[in-house]
Amino acid sequence: MNLLNKSLRNPEIVRCWKADDWNRFLPLVRNARLLGRCLFLFEQHGLLEVVPQRLVDQFRGALAQTRYLQVQAKRELRQVQRVLDNEGIPLMALKGVAYLAARLPPSGWRSLSDIDLLVREQDIEPAEQALKRAGWVPSGEFDDYDQHYYREWMHEVPPLVHHNRETEVDMHHNLAPPVSRIRIDAARLWEDAVMAPEEYGRQVAVLSPVDMLLHNAVHLFMNDELRGGLRDVVDFRDLFEHFLGQDAAFEEHLLARARALGCGRPLYYAVATSHRLAGLEPSAGFLGRVERYAPVRPVAWFMVWLIEQALAPQRLGMWQTAVANQMLFVRSHWVRMPPGMLIRHLWHKTFKSKVPATHDAEMPG
Amino acid sequence: MKSEQLTVDSGPFRVGVTSSEKVFLDTLSYFYRDVLRKDAPSVLDYEIHIQRPLNVRRWVIPQVRFEVDDMRPFEPHPAENAFPLYEWGLNWCIATSAHRYMMLHAGSVAFGDLAMVMPGTPGSGKSTLSAALHLRGARLLSDEFGLVRPEKGDLLPMPRGIPLKNASIEAILEFDPAAPLGPTYPKTRKGRVRHLRPDRESQIRQHEPAIPRWLVFPKYQAGAKETLLPLDKTEAFRQLTFNCFNYRLLGETAFRAVAQLIRQMDCYTFTFSNLERAVAKLSGLAQEPGAEQKGRA
Repeated sequence: MNLLNKSLRNPEIVRCWKADDWNRFLPLVRNARLLGRCLFLFEQHGLLEVVPQRLVDQFRGALAQTRYLQVQAKRELRQVQRVLDNEGIPLMALKGVAYLAARLPPSGWRSLSDIDLLVREQDIEPAEQALKRAGWVPSGEFDDYDQHYYREWMHEVPPLVHHNRETEVDMHHNLAPPVSRIRIDAARLWEDAVMAPEEYGRQVAVLSPVDMLLHNAVHLFMNDELRGGLRDVVDFRDLFEHFLGQDAAFEEHLLARARALGCGRPLYYAVATSHRLAGLEPSAGFLGRVERYAPVRPVAWFMVWLIEQALAPQRLGMWQTAVANQMLFVRSHWVRMPPGMLIRHLWHKTFKSKVPATHDAEMPG
Repeated sequence: MKSEQLTVDSGPFRVGVTSSEKVFLDTLSYFYRDVLRKDAPSVLDYEIHIQRPLNVRRWVIPQVRFEVDDMRPFEPHPAENAFPLYEWGLNWCIATSAHRYMMLHAGSVAFGDLAMVMPGTPGSGKSTLSAALHLRGARLLSDEFGLVRPEKGDLLPMPRGIPLKNASIEAILEFDPAAPLGPTYPKTRKGRVRHLRPDRESQIRQHEPAIPRWLVFPKYQAGAKETLLPLDKTEAFRQLTFNCFNYRLLGETAFRAVAQLIRQMDCYTFTFSNLERAVAKLSGLAQEPGAEQKGRA
């Protein structure tokens, strides 16, 4: 556990921080993309006068950028909606753009560079074609294998971007790959979907509160090598607390839904990790009941170690983080692909895939 | 090679620099000796490492890496270019994160506490002109980063080594043979570069904001007569937004800040070829009666 995790669990500790502590803290926050969140955290606990002005300025700078990206994301959502409405294709907003549309707490600080959308499986191809006719293009170069990988094995089409704009559109038809060990019946998600408040005369559907949290959990612990990182874990905490505040029986509903959709294991990982690394405090009974979905002890302990190295390293650039990321990467493939497919996938990625040339970061001026 | 950590104040930013490149550290100390410290730990904005990679390029045709927060945003550069890499990299850090400020792509100098802001695309001569004005006694605010606090409309200095490129180097040496220049970097991505060191006063007064008073769009044109023409405020507004790094990003905040700046500044275009005459002309603006008053209005 590092200083960022400690401050998320107990913000009061920053009262006794010295310059060295703040200097270790800032790179961790930047790396986790939680600058805006920290401004809210310290404000909420009346600690802004304790935080060095330099950091407050850095937080504010990041928040200004976040506001800009949020406007872009909302605009992109509206544009996609306009096209799909014409085709009569229903659409659901997921993750960051859903929090934004539904005005949930993470929208106060959460940055995003792409928008994730859900359409029904039978609609995904017509939706993609309609967007392409309206000016969207693939956001990168995808060879035949990549195309096959996205379309047949995963639950999405290769990301699209409008040729005049920068925000990527990731269109999915499920929350987990159809080939993975967790199979979610997408029809049930649509049944429970709720409408976000109207904006610019439009409304967009989002997942129900319990499904939103289960999606966060599945995305973080099944899809990639914890790519969303600590930020997604903090999202989980913020959403959990928000929904619990609105519905005293929320924990019950969450458990029941996880059982019904077969998402108990990812829920366990999300709750345990959010509790340990982001300060989530669910009721004691709830923690105990979620632990029933934990894997056998040695595996659970090993995962705790891996997650800790990946999401809460003492400082950036430690070899343990690299090792943990590598193992989590392998694990994420293991849980979402049958062995034969995995071998084929790794073979292709290792020997056949075109590696893009590295470019220097762009510099204005 | 032993690593050393220094703390350098760059305008409102405090930067930790760790390196074991002796030549680089010496150059850094040459340019920023008045704002550089080795002692007590303090809170930093950016922790930058300039180090050799852990591979054969550590010794053979040596390279250095620029690291911030364990990120390596650029490809390694030849070790002899460590100082330009540091300067360029720090600008990148600021440009991509300091949105608490409105960032103008402009050179700026101050007469007293009134600032002359000179925005311009590369090649317009803003660096050379800032350098020349500074060598004749104007306080250097910055050669290419105008940091505006949107809520106050004032300009925060960030005096740094001014990178003179190619023919500008000779132009400045001809203008002032005693100009304090650093080493020559014959091969950078911008060609041959030599930096001018800001004077002690500009550096120790770098935390004193200045009030934007004159907006001058410079344009170097070989053989041209120095011509200073008033610029229509609407056009000035348009051109200033074009020279603002984060105008789109800041949205309404930037719109209001630019409008405020344009209202309080006299706006000109300026064509020049001779530095002596250019400096005389622009310094003349500061000596006009009433210059002081209007800036504060």
